Amino acid sequence: MDSLAIGALRRRTVLRAGAGLAAASALPFGWSHPAAAAEPAMGTWPAGSSGDTVYVGITVPRTGTYAVQGEDELKGYMLAVEHINAGDPLIRAMSPRTTKGVLGKKVAYVVADSEAKPNTAVQAQSRFISENKVILMTGSTSSAVAVALNKLAQREKVLYVAGISGSNDTTGKDCVRYGFRQCFYGQTAAAALSPVLIKNLGKNKKVAYLTPDYTYGHTVQKSMEEYLKAGGWTTVTDQVAPLGAADYSSYLLNISNSGADVLVNINFGHDAVLSIQQARQFGILGKQTLIVPYQTPFLARDVGADLMAGVYAATDFWWTIQDAYPLAKMFVASFEKKFGYKPEWGAENAYMQFALWAGAVEAAGTFYPPAVIKSYEEGRHTPSLVGDVWWRGADHQLVHPVFIVRGRKAADMKSPDDYYEVLETVPGEGVMQAPDAFGCKLGPYT
Amino acid sequence: MITWPNFVSQVFNGLASGALLALISSGLTIIYGTLGVLNLAHGAMFMLGGYAGYVAYHATGSFLLAVVVGALFMVVVGAVVERVLIRRFYDRPHEDQILLTFGIGIVIVELVRLGFGSLTLSVPPPAWAAGVTPMGFLIYPTYRIVVLAIAGVALALLYLVLYRTRLGMIVRAGIEDSGMVGMLGINIDRVFMLVFGIGAMAAGFAGIVNAPVVSLTPDLGSSILVQTFVVVVIGGVGSFPGAILGGLVAGEILSLTSMVDPAYSEVMLFVVMTLVLVLRPQGLLGVPGRA
Amino acid sequence: MSRRLPLLVEGLTALGLVLAPFVLPTLHFAPDTVNQILIWGLFGIGFDILFGYTGLLSFGQSALYGTGGFIAAYLLTNSLMTSVLAALLVGTVGAALAGVLVGLIALRRTGIYFAMITVAIAETFFFVENSPLSAWTGGENGLPGVPAPDFRIGTLTWTVGTGWSMYWFLAACYFIAIVLALRIVRSPVGAILTAIRDNPQRARAVGHAVGAYKLTAFVVAAAFAGFAGGLLGVQQGFMPPDAFTFDTSGQLVMQTVIGGSAALFGPLLGAAVWLSLRDFLQAGLGLGGAWRLVLGVVFVVLIVFLRRGLIGGALDLVRSLSGRAQPAEAPEEAASVALAAPALVSIAGRRRHDAGFSGPVLEAQGLTKIYGGLAANRDIDFTVEEGELRGVIGPNGAGKSTFFKMLTCEVPPTAGRIRFHGRDITGFDVSRVCQLGLTKSYQVNQLFARQTVWQNVVIAALAERRGLFRLDMLRRIDRVPGLETQVEQTLALVGLTARAAVPVASLAYGEKRRLEIALALAASPTLLLLDEPLAGMSPRERTETVQLLKNIRRGRTLVIVEHDMDAVFELAERITVLHEGRKLAEGTPAEIQGNSFVQDAYLGGVSAA
Repeated sequence: MDSLAIGALRRRTVLRAGAGLAAASALPFGWSHPAAAAEPAMGTWPAGSSGDTVYVGITVPRTGTYAVQGEDELKGYMLAVEHINAGDPLIRAMSPRTTKGVLGKKVAYVVADSEAKPNTAVQAQSRFISENKVILMTGSTSSAVAVALNKLAQREKVLYVAGISGSNDTTGKDCVRYGFRQCFYGQTAAAALSPVLIKNLGKNKKVAYLTPDYTYGHTVQKSMEEYLKAGGWTTVTDQVAPLGAADYSSYLLNISNSGADVLVNINFGHDAVLSIQQARQFGILGKQTLIVPYQTPFLARDVGADLMAGVYAATDFWWTIQDAYPLAKMFVASFEKKFGYKPEWGAENAYMQFALWAGAVEAAGTFYPPAVIKSYEEGRHTPSLVGDVWWRGADHQLVHPVFIVRGRKAADMKSPDDYYEVLETVPGEGVMQAPDAFGCKLGPYT
Repeated sequence: MITWPNFVSQVFNGLASGALLALISSGLTIIYGTLGVLNLAHGAMFMLGGYAGYVAYHATGSFLLAVVVGALFMVVVGAVVERVLIRRFYDRPHEDQILLTFGIGIVIVELVRLGFGSLTLSVPPPAWAAGVTPMGFLIYPTYRIVVLAIAGVALALLYLVLYRTRLGMIVRAGIEDSGMVGMLGINIDRVFMLVFGIGAMAAGFAGIVNAPVVSLTPDLGSSILVQTFVVVVIGGVGSFPGAILGGLVAGEILSLTSMVDPAYSEVMLFVVMTLVLVLRPQGLLGVPGRA
Repeated sequence: MSRRLPLLVEGLTALGLVLAPFVLPTLHFAPDTVNQILIWGLFGIGFDILFGYTGLLSFGQSALYGTGGFIAAYLLTNSLMTSVLAALLVGTVGAALAGVLVGLIALRRTGIYFAMITVAIAETFFFVENSPLSAWTGGENGLPGVPAPDFRIGTLTWTVGTGWSMYWFLAACYFIAIVLALRIVRSPVGAILTAIRDNPQRARAVGHAVGAYKLTAFVVAAAFAGFAGGLLGVQQGFMPPDAFTFDTSGQLVMQTVIGGSAALFGPLLGAAVWLSLRDFLQAGLGLGGAWRLVLGVVFVVLIVFLRRGLIGGALDLVRSLSGRAQPAEAPEEAASVALAAPALVSIAGRRRHDAGFSGPVLEAQGLTKIYGGLAANRDIDFTVEEGELRGVIGPNGAGKSTFFKMLTCEVPPTAGRIRFHGRDITGFDVSRVCQLGLTKSYQVNQLFARQTVWQNVVIAALAERRGLFRLDMLRRIDRVPGLETQVEQTLALVGLTARAAVPVASLAYGEKRRLEIALALAASPTLLLLDEPLAGMSPRERTETVQLLKNIRRGRTLVIVEHDMDAVFELAERITVLHEGRKLAEGTPAEIQGNSFVQDAYLGGVSAA
């Protein structure tokens, strides 16, 4: 034991003795020295997995404009936890070594309202780490939160699997060794969607963009512009609107007067709903084809089938793909049975993140974080809700397909939830950039 | 994108959104002018009005009825809030009143969230005002033209109430000299209740009228509140004509600057506010020495 | 602030901060929660100086919190600086500079205008951070990778980690901040800030540069906010963009009000209540998203019933339990004030003027004031000689009050000039005129109502001792040279020495009137204007005050507006009569009594009554 822990200062000579140092967490008042944490004890390990139960910390927005997406996501996590503890066949299909729980321990979750704010999310997860010794963190409906939790994960040496996060940066320049993202993002959405658009709508179209004024918006806009060039599509205007703008009239007037054939609406969440509703009021939807590169969960339910008819979108998951994917069918059925509606992609993403995590831990045979990370990084192919998937070791992004959908006319809908027809399933590996193209440097294991 | 048709479109659009802002701001100004209370719950009342209209619309199926019922509901809400809470605060400092209305605003927002959830709710425009109206080279949503008309009529009615009735006389006396109202020998309690009700109604009414344009969420009011403040600061606190002028100025700024660089239109609003504060601190139509 | 235990509060704070890590875990406080509470508490210290002490309710603190935080985080994450402490300091200075800019705009208006402007400013800063400056601030992603500090003394190294390790660093920061804040509120500047909160007009009239002091409070608050913002980044290893949102300001305001304002520790307590209730409501009661509703209701209830917050409520409770709730009522006997013998105390007006000047003390020419077309005063010439005691009389509505307000520069004349000791003071600020030696006492008492008699006179005497504006924020108020003597003499002169410790609210009416005069006297004016000093007094109080006026005229020039004819004719050497806004007559009491115009216009009416 470090006898100098009674004071705030430590002798360097002692530090150099490194190997003999006790775990930082064992010191009185938690005096710690991350650089000296050469011993195996790290983050919440082994404290977090020494009992019968392991905890995961979930932060999703339950108030504010993303609350709907947040609650959906939370339901996905809840179902996954239930299935993991019960050893449900669906989980066992994705994590073959699972019996009940993870490595024989029961999984429990703690949840807090992130208000969609990075600060609140980080504070809540920090609390979970120190209070509940969570061994896994999750949840986000925006990249701001995902990136913030990425950094927290790396600092605290506790795994984080992102929820919804569309920015290239999450597994690009802001990637970390301790963070993993499953869902699709700006680059893959643009790369998957553009060829389909050119194929369906023809060449040499004039495009107007409605872009939310933040990093995610600008990157998606640039990616779309880049990929649409292949079909000779040109940008006539890029209307940048602040996040959370309520009234889009002035932007929409500019778009309406721009002579564009196509409107690419990059807004997410409530902003997407409002801007689409208002675009209809301005008579734009009749004249211009609407394209939503990054589909917001609940968008179709929110704006209604008549507005979504003919709209092109890229998405991570739409429930009707279950016809092609048996595991998706099982998932949709269990989810609907428990919660009474068809899951959106936030819930699907949440469920899969937990299932894949359980698989990675079981494969590692330990909760020791570096071992779990290495298990992820093996590039093991796994059956999943959307077919065969695997993690890229170099940037911690899941390789999985992107679905291109088009809104159905109300008359063509076979059931009340049948908003989209799936036009194409674009395999993930073809549309993903090289792992280092966005500046990803994963950082250390310890 | 500065083209002649687009310019004209944006001027018209500025007028339409400005008129609505003017209506909301006049409610804030009337309350402040008469009661001396800055209502930070004004944004929440705008939002609540929208939800009241939504409920009434789905109960009756009639848009006009929804507007009337919603507006009356807001008068009652305003009067009750005044009677139960605001009244205790007239002889307390301005700061306490501000804190109180700030708290009331939060409670209203969270109550609505509890009751209606966070999913957006929309009220369709009445059938006769759906679709678009071609106006020469300008195509504009019919309902927004209706909003402009409604806001104009509402402002005119407010003007009549303020300048042609006994209640209006009292309110204006209050705006010009808050000490004077007490000397007129009027049942102040009832007048104040009514005035707060009318102020809340102005916000709530705007909220209902706006519901088919911007669909409802509990957080709808916060950005409107900030814009309302800017309007009032530009126009002059406690000045009814100032609220109207300020609203129109703000609407035009938001619309016209979007042609140059839409990302900056919101910031331009604050730049103009700062300019007004530096050059004419009492606001364009404000009286020096007040507030 | 006990004089016997001058560092009691500091000592208890230090003790509390040291004990917290041992006590709080037993109450289920996680270290991260405690760290956040400390940062909110530190952020709130500045806000409390601004709101609790100076009375300026700002909703724009998030702008300065974010500014300081992002400057520090930017410097550290881009390796422009390696020392965390230096970066925090630069952030603090940056926030203070932003505070100067924002303050200059927002402080152009007061009250509700000020509140509205700060709301707009908070929004503007958020927008600017999030959009035009996103290349520097990381936009919606914020700035990750903010390092924690390490300290080296010789061969010893302490690298601050997370959890309780971070706590010690933050606790040290909080302690330094609270020590600084305590010094500020105990300094002359602190006393003047409370004066501005309680009565800005009078604070200005006794000779303080109110605008400059308000800006000072705003900048101090900005510096605290900037420092706290920097610490937020360091604590989380990440600078979140939501530091800038209006919600942050709102939460700070609510926490301060819940904890208690004007107590410095209120924001800390409020943050503790807020954060633990939030966690408890969410996790303990499973309320999910409804937690904000509960906190909103709690806030409204506190505003209505416990305006001074938890700390204020606790102090009131302690006071009423210890039976000291009622300050002593004015004793009957004390009313027969032993006015100090004039020989013992005579604080003469302090000459601040060219000794060579020998003309009249005050000379007004053609003074005219027109309000919306109505002339309150028209073309009044008025001259007062050194050492004179002048009476100004006139029926109601003669324009006496307006006339007095123009002489002390409270309102600018529409036309005309005013010279004081030969110097043209037309258009000067009232505070500057007071500093020159011309002030007045008010017809309606203008006191600092929430303070004691002693504190009231201190505020006025500070202006005389320190001038218009001075930034002696770290000096103890009892170290201001000559202040105590000045206050004691003033109190002795007006016969309030025995009542020095009594709050103004507990004074009898006559005592308040004398305190009103004392506030003017404490400025050591060479020319003192008294606006109806005898108004509303009982016969005995009147006799005493007339005696007081005779005492204070030694060494200074007096002008008295008064309705009490007997007193005016007894005291004044010359009398000026105003009628319908014009000067009707001027002369010795005998001349005025014999003036037929005056009798017609005014005295006739009185004698007929």
